[in-house]
Amino acid sequence: MQVWEVFRREREGGAMQHAGNLLAPDAELASHYAREFYGRRQESVRLWIVPRAAILDLDDPDLLQPPFDRSFKKPAGYSTEIKAKLAAARSRAGAAEEPKR
Amino acid sequence: MTAQALDTSTRTALADLLLAMADDEFVLGFWDSEWTGIAPLLEEDVAFASLAQDEIGHAQALYRLLADLDGGDPDAIAFGRRPEEYRHARLLDHPRTDWAFSVARRFLYDTADAARLDALVASAYAPLAEVVAKMRREETYHLRHMVAWLERLATGGDQPRARLVAALERLWPDALCVLDGVEGDDLLVEAGVLAEPLADVRRRWLAGLAPELARLGLPGPPPAAPAVGCRGPDRGGDFRWLWEQFTMVRRSDPEAVW
Repeated sequence: MQVWEVFRREREGGAMQHAGNLLAPDAELASHYAREFYGRRQESVRLWIVPRAAILDLDDPDLLQPPFDRSFKKPAGYSTEIKAKLAAARSRAGAAEEPKR
Repeated sequence: MTAQALDTSTRTALADLLLAMADDEFVLGFWDSEWTGIAPLLEEDVAFASLAQDEIGHAQALYRLLADLDGGDPDAIAFGRRPEEYRHARLLDHPRTDWAFSVARRFLYDTADAARLDALVASAYAPLAEVVAKMRREETYHLRHMVAWLERLATGGDQPRARLVAALERLWPDALCVLDGVEGDDLLVEAGVLAEPLADVRRRWLAGLAPELARLGLPGPPPAAPAVGCRGPDRGGDFRWLWEQFTMVRRSDPEAVW
């Protein structure tokens, strides 16, 4: 018996999303079971059925959660920084308010 | 073609065929639902129950066609008859027995039914052709599921194979009844409702099965179907038990609204 991870697309154009997993001895029965588990109520237009063993698993914190602050890599983090600097510059220039556009 | 275009005897033959097909699907669906909770693995449990529900859905569509043809209420036709009035094939009088038995029965039924549906998909009776086209899409998938199991049991070691062979030997004569026991199929062929007589459908079914059975070294059909009683009225105690189960709620209050 093998574990199979199943991904499904709910409607045309949508992303494939993880649906869940199931046990089956081989690919043929896995596809039959995936259809019944994740398609029998017509909730999917496409399924991907992947042996769990084929999935490359990364969970090393050194790779995914490095110790230094990485907020500058986030669009929101960067803009927060810039906004703070802009506010400081305006206050030095005596313009308390953000200029009207 | 509408129902009004059919003469009385052709119409009777069509009603007989519809009832036989509907009862086949209905009774098979109830027997196979008996595996719910106890199938060999959880995944198969869910899958087999879903297949059984599909059969009940097909029965519902066919009872509806019959009600449209003859008048009456599909639920009353499905649940309101005495056991001896059901017209399903004798193949469906057996209980679920063991897993190999249920797989063997479904394999024989699904392949025979596929041959029957092939002969109806271009039916001149348009309401039937429409239902059959929908049924075929699901039945093709059911059949693939059953062939997958047939292969695994046939090649899965001594015990599964012995059980499968025993089940096929027991079921074969009654399986021939799926394409038998309906009166007036010649009239249906003449009217274009059915593409060929049921005896020809049966020959086509058996010819199509032969290579698959030979490949797996499984037993083939006996020379002939049981001479009488292919579709009742004499049913054994097993069907009577099932009938009591599936009519229990309705019999408790036939007028209840659901």
